[in-house]
Amino acid sequence: MRYGRGRLTMVKWLLDPYAVAGVYLLLIAFVLDRPGEAAGLSLACAIVPFQLVLMTVLNSLTSVQSRRSIVVNMRFERALIPFSSAVTEGIGFLATLTLIAVMMVAYGVELTAAVLWLPVLVATTFLVAVALAYPVALIGLWFPETRAIMLSLTRAAFFLAPGVVALDQISDDTSEWLWANPLTGLFEAFRSVFLYGESPAAGELLLPFAFAVVTLALFVPVFRREGPQFAKLVE
Amino acid sequence: MSASIEARGVGIQFHFDRQRRVLSPTLARVRRGGPEPWALRGVELSVEPGEGVAFVGPTGSGKTTLLRLLGGILAPDEGSLAVRGRVGALLSPQAGLLGLLTGRENAELLGVLVGMSPREARGAVGPIREASGLGDSFELPVSSYSEGMRARLGFAVAVQRHVDLLLLDEVHEAVDHEFRAVVAERVREVREGGGIVVAAGHDHAVLETMCDRAVWMESGAVARDGAFRDVVDTYVKP
Repeated sequence: MRYGRGRLTMVKWLLDPYAVAGVYLLLIAFVLDRPGEAAGLSLACAIVPFQLVLMTVLNSLTSVQSRRSIVVNMRFERALIPFSSAVTEGIGFLATLTLIAVMMVAYGVELTAAVLWLPVLVATTFLVAVALAYPVALIGLWFPETRAIMLSLTRAAFFLAPGVVALDQISDDTSEWLWANPLTGLFEAFRSVFLYGESPAAGELLLPFAFAVVTLALFVPVFRREGPQFAKLVE
Repeated sequence: MSASIEARGVGIQFHFDRQRRVLSPTLARVRRGGPEPWALRGVELSVEPGEGVAFVGPTGSGKTTLLRLLGGILAPDEGSLAVRGRVGALLSPQAGLLGLLTGRENAELLGVLVGMSPREARGAVGPIREASGLGDSFELPVSSYSEGMRARLGFAVAVQRHVDLLLLDEVHEAVDHEFRAVVAERVREVREGGGIVVAAGHDHAVLETMCDRAVWMESGAVARDGAFRDVVDTYVKP
């Protein structure tokens, strides 16, 4: 329902990550001239998890307002609202995993046993998206004028992580700083599994996991405390 | 379980910033500057099992806010409120329905939101379709429904499960004559089962068929509380 009804909207939804990958592929192959190893696959390893994060942020920014009809009419657990935003976008995320499969075929990269890490990658990415959904939903509700800024910040986070090029192509000094961004671990974990065919390093998954747990611990209680006020704010 | 309502000095306050945007109380602590009116203040209300209570009063007097408070949609900013019993609420003819979804999809979604398991909600769809009387329109997007059709669907979902406390806000005014009889029948069942019905609206003749007590709301406070005819006659007296 997030994208409406009909086959065309479904096709658009599936093609979104392919379009993003195409644009960035042109950028790094022709403009920056830094294609690196299997550039398209490397990009896909960043774009696929980032799509979930970006779309969840986009959805969450208006998640309370867009559910106005039930918020002002029904008693229900308000903490489900951000979670449902992430679940909605999570369905699209699972579909966009096909981008990685297409890129692996295109670059002749073979699957290894490391692919067994896929459920852990999916779960960690989803957890990060869910965690971000709570503060973002509150910001979108409290400061609706900042929605465009929030989207820009989220897009900036892609470039403040090894999104366009892999971490090993970035200077050591810079790459150390990039670890402060939870997306770095996610992107590199996807590359470890699908590009390099090896298990992700512990930090690649633990850092985003820790970020998600801390964010949830901080913001779910705030969201629940604020829930009984939502009907006033969206009326 | 029998129902009861006990409100003591209940208040609901709104906070605004300088641009007259509504703030949450949390934000209001750091972004003061606008007015902070009380939508409800000092409301005292005690309702016993089996009672039918009508909220009457002019638009903006706090009837809907008080219903939302009783329905757990808002929490009191001051005072105490104890509501016992399972609540079924229809606080707007829009009924919490999502326009893009069909009647069937809305019934499933709202069923889950009112506490049914997904399996229960799917199982309840047939009876809800039947109770709503929507026929084939049940399979169409709710955006194509009239206000009365939405109210029918919302009411059918709200009362699908056993409810001890039924809250209705101007809903009976949105539905046609035929469905009013369905609403009246359900109201009678709830009250006879020891439940409570609280209804707000401006159609006093319809309210009187459901309620024998009235609470006249005025500027966010209870102006008068008593037998339906006494209160309404005083309220409408020129």
